[in-house]
Amino acid sequence: MEKKVLTEQALYYGDVSMPKGFEINYDKFKADILQADLEKNNFKSSRNWDKLNTFIKDHINLKHQVNLVNKSTWGNFYKPFTLTEPLLQVDPVDLRNSPDFVLLYGVQVKDCFIKIFYDDNRRKGRSWDIELKNNMFVMFPSNNMYIIGNNDSKDLNFIQTITYEYI
Amino acid sequence: MAHFAKISEENEVLQVLIVDDKDVLNSEGVETESVGQQYLETHNNWPANLWIQTSYNTLMNTHALGGTPFRGNYAGIGYEWDAENNIFWNEKPYASWVKDLATASWKSPIGDAPALTAEQEAQRTAGTNMWYYSWNEDNQSWDLTDHTA
Repeated sequence: MEKKVLTEQALYYGDVSMPKGFEINYDKFKADILQADLEKNNFKSSRNWDKLNTFIKDHINLKHQVNLVNKSTWGNFYKPFTLTEPLLQVDPVDLRNSPDFVLLYGVQVKDCFIKIFYDDNRRKGRSWDIELKNNMFVMFPSNNMYIIGNNDSKDLNFIQTITYEYI
Repeated sequence: MAHFAKISEENEVLQVLIVDDKDVLNSEGVETESVGQQYLETHNNWPANLWIQTSYNTLMNTHALGGTPFRGNYAGIGYEWDAENNIFWNEKPYASWVKDLATASWKSPIGDAPALTAEQEAQRTAGTNMWYYSWNEDNQSWDLTDHTA
C-alpha cells in the first residue's frame, strides 16, 4: 500500500537566533513600525528588518528546502485587549499576485496569540493557536485565515508581517 | 571573483556569495580573506568570522584547473564547515561513514566498493546487466546489484 501527499499545510515557527553581537534591536524595530504608521508610509527596509528577513530565508531554505522570495512587508501594533478581524493575505480574485506564505514576527509582544484557521478535509474551520513571543516567528500558507489577539492589559504588541512567494 | 560561504554558529553553510576581487584586496593589493570577511560583515549583517572563503574549483581535495586545492570542497548550502581540519564537508551519506581527510570525502568503514570484474564490466558495456555496488548500512557491506533485474 502506498501513499502520495499531494499538498500539505506546513507551519514553520521558531526563534530568530542571530549570532552574538548581531542581534535584532527591538526598540529600533518598534520605532520603525511607529514611524511608518505616523508618516502613513509603507514600512521601509531597515538593518533590523534585513537581519530578520535574511535569517528566515536562509534557514527555511537550509532546513526545509523552501526558497522564499519577498512579496511585501508591514508592521502593526495592537492595543491591549484587542482582537483583529479575520485576516487573509491571499486575494481570491488575484491569485497570480498573491503570496504563498505569511510570516508574523514578534518584535515586542506580551500575551499575544495567533489563531490560524484551516480545513481538514471535510472538517472545515478548524483552528490552531500559538502564542507569539518576542523574537519568535510563525509562518503559514497565505490561504489560511488568521486572527491576532492581544490579551495583555496595558502594553501594545508590535508585530512585523512579511509575505513570501516560494520558487 | 572570490567565493565566501555564510555559515551559522553551528557551522552549517547557509549560502555562498560571490565577492568582487577588488573587495578582497588589502592595502598592498593582495587577496586577503579577512578583507573579504569584513566587507561581507558590513554589507550583509552577519559577523565576519562566520564568512569562510571557499574555492569554486576545488572538489574532493583536487583543484579542477591543476592549482592548489583549498578547503577540500567548494561549499554548498547544507555543507558542514570543519574548522579543525579546514574542510567543507557535504552531507554524510550514511551514519557509519567516516571522514577521509586526504580526499575530503566520506568513506565507508570498510573502504571503497570493490571493482567490478572484467566480465561484469563487459556486461555493463553490452547493456545485458547493469552491475553496481551499493552500500548496505544494515549489514555494513557493499552489495553487488544488477540494475536491470
